[in-house]
Amino acid sequence: MSDDPRPYAGGVSTQHQGSTDVIVESRIADAWVTIVWNDPVNLMSYVTYVFQTYFGWPRERAQARMREVHTEGRSVVSSGGREMMEVDVQAMHSFGLWATMQRSGQ
Amino acid sequence: MRGFEARGDMAVAQLDSEERAVVARVIADVGLLLSGEAFGAQRDGVEDFEDELFAHVRGFEVALSDPEDPAVLRILPNAAPTDRQVADEFRRLTEPELRAIKVDRLRAIWDALSEDGPEWKVPADEAMATAAALTDVRLVLAARLGIDTDADADALYREIEHAENAAATDVFASLAVDPHRVWLGMVYQALTWLQESLMTYVMRDDV
Repeated sequence: MSDDPRPYAGGVSTQHQGSTDVIVESRIADAWVTIVWNDPVNLMSYVTYVFQTYFGWPRERAQARMREVHTEGRSVVSSGGREMMEVDVQAMHSFGLWATMQRSGQ
Repeated sequence: MRGFEARGDMAVAQLDSEERAVVARVIADVGLLLSGEAFGAQRDGVEDFEDELFAHVRGFEVALSDPEDPAVLRILPNAAPTDRQVADEFRRLTEPELRAIKVDRLRAIWDALSEDGPEWKVPADEAMATAAALTDVRLVLAARLGIDTDADADALYREIEHAENAAATDVFASLAVDPHRVWLGMVYQALTWLQESLMTYVMRDDV
């Protein structure tokens, strides 16, 4: 895998205006992603609420991401520069969620 | 035991004295695991100061690499399994703070459970901190119980049910069950149920 910072092409939305998701344009700074992994301990309601409150997602979107974690085993929950992802991963760890960060595309 | 219910601006659960003692004990165990600090221990000034110094030193030592105890690794996981350097730097930067946050949350529960009476009162603005601490405790118990997958959790629940049915028919002693494992599993179940009720409280006004 190349070390070149590459834009994340997955169309992860990280901002919201009202109820409309704004797809953040891929850019060089979005070279890293935060991934939340499935684990058998965390409660679905709890994970949903953590996503709602930390990422500011509406309930439905938070639930959809929680289900993706549960059924797919993982979900990319944010993307950005490395320092930003460290903040997100630390927040997820403080809530007891199993989160990791990596360069996007890996 | 009664799960958390809304009362005024707080959530209140009911635990009898035995249940209270068990929950307080596992809370204290996880606090000790994370900080080396024994909740509720009598302190005098000098030892306290020394203890804090040593805890500080220990915190820096452990922050250099992944914790060896798999239970601690569950609450302070590797942040970058594909990149050792990123993982180590993350741990060095964040672990002391994460440990402190988690220990503070556990201590708050310990304090709440140390009050007299059967009620466990959680103010609304502390509900998520309490839920996060319950998550950490359940992660530790899950590590001790070998729950790594959803199937492991289901198997444990069947094991407990099996043991409970057997206990009701007086053949418990002849069963090949590990009473310690069943007991720990029941504590895990009870804490799961309490956290679920707390989340119902937290999300009560949300659509």
